[in-house]
Amino acid sequence: MTIRKMIAAASLAALALTLGACADEPSDEPAKSGGQAGAQEIVFALHNTPDGIDPNITSNSFAAPIIFNTFECLVTYSTTDGALIPGQAESWDISDDGLTYTFHLREGLKWSDGSALTASDFVYSAQRVLTPSTTAQYVGLYTDYVVGAQELYDDASQTDGLGIKAADDTTLTIELKAPTPFFIDIVGMWAWSPVQQATIEANGDQWTNEAASYVSNGPFKMDEVNLGESYVLVKNPNYWDAANVKLEKITFRMIPDPSTALAAFEGGEIDGQLTVPSSDIARLKTSDSGLVVTPAYSTTWYNINNAKAPYDNPLVRKALSLAVDREALVNEVLQNGGTPAFSPVAPGYSVDGVEYSEGRSDFGLSATADPEAAKAALAEAGYPGGEGFPTLQLSYYTDDTVKLMTEALADQFETNLGINVEISNEDWAVYYDNVQAGNYEVGAMGWGADYFHPMTFLQLLQTDDVNNNVFYSNLEYDALVIQAQAETDPAVAMDLMRQADELSAAEYPVLCLFYRANMMLVSPELKGVYRTVLNNLYFRSAYLEG
Amino acid sequence: MTRYIVKRLGTSLVTLLFVILLTFVLMHSVPGGPFAQEKEAPPEVLDALNAKYHLDQPLVVQFFEYLGGLLRFELGPSFKYTGRTVNDFIVNGAPFSMRLGLITLVFVLIAAIPMGILAARRNGRWPDAVVMIIATLGITIPSFVAAAGLMYVFAYRLNWVPTFGLDKPTSYILPVLALGGYSLSFLARLMRSSLLEVMGQDYIRTARAKGLSEVRVITRHALRNAIIPVLTVLGPTVAGLLTGSFVIEKIFAIPGMGSYFVDSVTQRDYTTIMGMTTFYAAFLITMVFVVDLFYRLVDPRIELG
Repeated sequence: MTIRKMIAAASLAALALTLGACADEPSDEPAKSGGQAGAQEIVFALHNTPDGIDPNITSNSFAAPIIFNTFECLVTYSTTDGALIPGQAESWDISDDGLTYTFHLREGLKWSDGSALTASDFVYSAQRVLTPSTTAQYVGLYTDYVVGAQELYDDASQTDGLGIKAADDTTLTIELKAPTPFFIDIVGMWAWSPVQQATIEANGDQWTNEAASYVSNGPFKMDEVNLGESYVLVKNPNYWDAANVKLEKITFRMIPDPSTALAAFEGGEIDGQLTVPSSDIARLKTSDSGLVVTPAYSTTWYNINNAKAPYDNPLVRKALSLAVDREALVNEVLQNGGTPAFSPVAPGYSVDGVEYSEGRSDFGLSATADPEAAKAALAEAGYPGGEGFPTLQLSYYTDDTVKLMTEALADQFETNLGINVEISNEDWAVYYDNVQAGNYEVGAMGWGADYFHPMTFLQLLQTDDVNNNVFYSNLEYDALVIQAQAETDPAVAMDLMRQADELSAAEYPVLCLFYRANMMLVSPELKGVYRTVLNNLYFRSAYLEG
Repeated sequence: MTRYIVKRLGTSLVTLLFVILLTFVLMHSVPGGPFAQEKEAPPEVLDALNAKYHLDQPLVVQFFEYLGGLLRFELGPSFKYTGRTVNDFIVNGAPFSMRLGLITLVFVLIAAIPMGILAARRNGRWPDAVVMIIATLGITIPSFVAAAGLMYVFAYRLNWVPTFGLDKPTSYILPVLALGGYSLSFLARLMRSSLLEVMGQDYIRTARAKGLSEVRVITRHALRNAIIPVLTVLGPTVAGLLTGSFVIEKIFAIPGMGSYFVDSVTQRDYTTIMGMTTFYAAFLITMVFVVDLFYRLVDPRIELG
């Protein structure tokens, strides 16, 4: 036997075995794009399995595509311009003191199993979140704002005190501890989704594991849960606006490697994917490939430990901020579509047509590095030419992109400031522990907004905030933030928030780099997919053309 | 024989217990915990989570609770994925990993042994050179490079096979080649060198002197001895192939068990780390045991016990 024959025989045998082994497998091939005309079925690639899809429990952003298409809150977001619009609630009233919200639910709302959905389902959901054993990660979205929520969380017998009540089947009232101008955005977060008591009582925390028990109230309902492989959603005929939902089936396929997904996308095997491998962005930008770039309400920065010398000196922090070439970072190193940032608060929020960041100072910073000014600031702080400055400890959590960014940053510090930089990295779990404990000097961090309001960023720098890991403290700032929170007039609140923002950003508490953008791929035939600045991905208006 | 099996079972259990203990100790001495989120959960939530998963108990209590669960084949709830148990991961992932692994194993055996024999028989001539070149490439090219290259050429450029998943029969071709490349090369080289060594021995000369055909000399006399080193590495190879490869499963988006081995560690998902390690260890020990039994079938001179 010649070698060629032998190899051929071997591969044939292997192939035959392969075919034989698979023949008896149930073939559940995913629907392909461009299949039968008119079949409104798509396959969309996600890259990470969420830690759960129970809207009351998880805060994991990987769950967003699944939860936001199967569940609907009192309010939702427009799939044309991202504006807040009525969802399960048809309308709502806010009392003059800003403390009582009355939501009027739509008539005849139903769960995906056909049973009626009433205001008391929202009350049940709230009580479930406020039960410690539920381990709701977003419990703060209730306890921070609602009367009696913390008390109920601390003591299960305090149900009467909870300020969330169903007056009748379609009227839900929520009483707040203090006026909260962005509360309407809060109830649009999935932790405020109603969940069905019957399925949870019957199935416990396994209710999210099977399609049949995953009862929901959104435009789509679960059809298959294939652990680690896919979530298959089908149109929910019991959704109040089902007449306008065109897609019949969405297969969210887990493809961990975005490069694999890209190959599948370009080969027409899938109709879209949630992230794009950074090495391909430049190529995809120049072609008509279906690259969709949407701004995100989130900011990437590096924490500077404000409590640790020499970083307790604002001049040192300013020098670091001036030494960074943000434009090169965004356009060359990361190629991620971001825009240079000089303040932690991302732009985009508007009141009466006035955008938050309009006319905001650049705090002496620029999109490119300013080595002269950076050196001057460092000299003013007592380290002329970087002399006598201790080696800067630059840390990051293990991640390929963050690694690139950190190395570029280190290089810019060394070149533009003449200081030494030492880089270290750890797994996120360890890294974050160290950041919280203040065991760092300068470290990779950022913030993705929870709700579409500048307060989500401003709270972070309050002296006592649990997420203030840079240990910045400015009592005047704290007072302004508290004042803005209590202000019921949105325009006045906006003015106060801008003041607070200007006050802190001028002291460079963090090293701002850029405002993020999200990039995804959507096949040109798939229309109407909308991604909000909060990364909510809606398919309820999507359809395949042709 | 029975005595041998009983004895081996005993030592296997001790080994397994030691693996479990060691994993447990190492896992808890690594800094960081399972409940670190993208965003910090309030302390009350962390307390509730710790209570739910008994992490507020002393470590010794946790360890014996875990052992108790193992006796009932309960590997415990995942700390990371709400409502999921480690049993779910194995039950759902194993069919994918095992099916891919089994096909790869068959492919490897069918290809590697003839390749090794051929190379040994044509030692120093061109078939030998070709086999050795293939084998060297297979050993030196990491599986993820092979996977990416195969995917680029056959799925992306030529569009002959699907890019991801195991949904169609043709889906298996690329993952099998990428996953099996190393084992194929390693076994082919081992087969070749082992056969070459055997072929130089006196009893082979005797067999030839008796006038036996070359085919008979190899199949009846040489192979039986030459295959023993191959059998030895087969145990770990089988365990490795069948329990899933993190890299291959990730690249081809195959929902097997591979990802849980790696992700559970970075996520500090304690029960999943324990469960997957224990499962793998038990499987490996079993495979080595099976191979040892096979020795006796191949070579009656080998005494067990």
